[in-house]
Amino acid sequence: MKIEKLIEKIEGEASLDFSFEAGVVSDVRIRFGLYRGIEQILEKKAPRDALVITPRVCGICNHAHLMAAVKAIESGYRASGIDVTLSPKADAIREFTLACELIQNHVKWLYMTVIPHFESLTGKRSQENHALKASYISTTITKALAIFAGQWPHSSYAVPGGVTCDPTYVDVMQATALVEEAIRFFEQMMVGMPLEAYLGIDSVSQLHSIQGDVGRLMQRLGEAGMAEKGHSHDRFIVFGEGMGFVSGKATATTVSSVDVRYVEESNQEDSTAKAVSYKQKQFETGPLARAIIAKNPLIKSLHKRYKDSLLTRVFARTHEVGLLLHRAKEALVHLDVTQPSCMLESKLLSTDFEGVGTVEAARGSLIHRSVVKSGRIAHYDIIVPTQWNLSHGNASEKGVAVRAMIGSASIEEASFIFRSFDVCSVCTMQ
Amino acid sequence: MEALKPRLLWLQSITCNGNTHSFLNHPDLFSILSHFELVYHPVLESSCMLHEVLARKAPCDILILEGAFSEQGMVKEGVEILDVALYYANVAEHIVTAGTCATFGGIFKGYDPDAISGFAFDEERQTARFERFSPKLISLPGCPIHPKWLSYVLMMIVQGRSIPLDAMCRPQELYNITVHTGCSRNEYFEWKVDTKGFGLKEGCLFYELGCQGPYTRGSCNKILWNDTSSKTVVGTPCFGCTEPTFPKAVLFETKTHMGIPASMPLGVPRRAYLTATGVAKSFKIKRFEERIITYED
Repeated sequence: MKIEKLIEKIEGEASLDFSFEAGVVSDVRIRFGLYRGIEQILEKKAPRDALVITPRVCGICNHAHLMAAVKAIESGYRASGIDVTLSPKADAIREFTLACELIQNHVKWLYMTVIPHFESLTGKRSQENHALKASYISTTITKALAIFAGQWPHSSYAVPGGVTCDPTYVDVMQATALVEEAIRFFEQMMVGMPLEAYLGIDSVSQLHSIQGDVGRLMQRLGEAGMAEKGHSHDRFIVFGEGMGFVSGKATATTVSSVDVRYVEESNQEDSTAKAVSYKQKQFETGPLARAIIAKNPLIKSLHKRYKDSLLTRVFARTHEVGLLLHRAKEALVHLDVTQPSCMLESKLLSTDFEGVGTVEAARGSLIHRSVVKSGRIAHYDIIVPTQWNLSHGNASEKGVAVRAMIGSASIEEASFIFRSFDVCSVCTMQ
Repeated sequence: MEALKPRLLWLQSITCNGNTHSFLNHPDLFSILSHFELVYHPVLESSCMLHEVLARKAPCDILILEGAFSEQGMVKEGVEILDVALYYANVAEHIVTAGTCATFGGIFKGYDPDAISGFAFDEERQTARFERFSPKLISLPGCPIHPKWLSYVLMMIVQGRSIPLDAMCRPQELYNITVHTGCSRNEYFEWKVDTKGFGLKEGCLFYELGCQGPYTRGSCNKILWNDTSSKTVVGTPCFGCTEPTFPKAVLFETKTHMGIPASMPLGVPRRAYLTATGVAKSFKIKRFEERIITYED
């Protein structure tokens, strides 16, 4: 039996074709809509125009695209012998603004995707306006971002060698106050305890002490058996660094290094999205992958007990909000505004280069590759996190989300598992 | 009894979702939305499902369009989105094109310039749809849209106020000033003092770094972004994202003719600009050569 379902409100839409055997999902084909051709649009453009064009890949993770684009140019500059060094200030500001984008994403996903859809799945709809909470924290934390980046979405303030802004301590104080407001929200609404105490939790045995919306959600997910659902390959990959993240891949309990040269893209039948694999193997990317590879004690402990279940995956993302809020606040404490913002000249410094930029976006590793010839982009390649998580897989193994959905008893349950990956349709249709 | 609220339908075509997320950052989002019945929205809960919208079963008083349009091929559930947009455009009392893609074609037009355009405009040119729908059209270009520009226009519609528009149906109150208006670097523009590079609060970005603020329509420096800042304030050039020509090429460099910016400030004759520049440049003003703040080591 085959059933087609349109999944909407996932940064665009995707069509899922479910196959059922013996009453459970046996396979899923995921189809995305129109290809928008950003990579082609970039061809023949000036190399730095990518800093303006690529954020427009995605309305919710635009800042990560900016960071990947600037890192691709900087990597290309380095390859052509130019010294690219960022001041600690510029580095910290970039890290800060990217952390803010991840926070807004995760909180929106929690309140606008996970909680409402879980309520629908279990038939216990509340009358609460969850989206109001999402909008409140998103507005607060992107305001902190905009103090440095000018605006969100679609800033282009990261340029080769640093950032365009030149903040004062008054700006830093304003940003600090906003981060503290976001921390207050996290403490009082999301976890019901001080951030410091929350970050001290290092084992699944203390998980019950978490209250607030996250605590309630975890309890209900557990009651609904979500610790036994949504398992996939239990294989993780991270390419970006910074914000406390480290690159690497994890298979079972072994963590080892990664090299972007082994990332392979391939076309998929009946989908505009390209599949991506590492040495022909499927890997999950995103907050759970980041926590496993960075050896976060609490997530490791949760993973040890429940593996890569839906419950582990969901908690890893909400947990990252706490980690990032802490990092964001620290980044501002140590910011020395007297250091230079940008260490390179404002003109294009190399007309022929190849560069790769990797960054951890909200949904996982984002890779930009830029090939520049005679001062123009000859080829541009963007690999987005959703490609890792939502490909169909290959002859030997199913894709990550597909495998997680197999065995579901209903389309509703499978769709909820699908959404737990925090799908970004627009990125995938770049 | 509560008066019937205008029914708001937000329809997406070829887009990045940037206008959707920009609007979600409105600090008074739910107060604004309380004046409407939300029939469909790309991420917020709404009274209709997408398949009902595509089946033309949704009611619609105000149609918000996000994203560029393709004559064919932009299909959801087997339905051409342009056809769906035309259906609701006929039904609606007001059509708001939210963002530069929906208004002029924007970034995504670049992939297939002959087939992709805005709803009523193809860059500066009117499409066949303009004549049909211009009496109820409001253009709100910007990549992305500024959340407050959209909310103010929606509230003016609710209150039945007339909205003075320009020839491209843009509200004059928002687009008859330039991005340059209110820029924190204005003194440097007045005295023609160039910035010495990225990452400095001193100096104007118009002469070398590609800033299009003086000839780009929009109130980015009057109604600030995220209630706090703007591109030019943080030293990023304005890229002209509200204009029908967005995106131009080589965005981080100013195109010049014999050392003079090729594009003049909006409405300023070249001769007037050169005269004023000549006068301003003949003075060397110490304050504009120095750093604004000196920090002790």
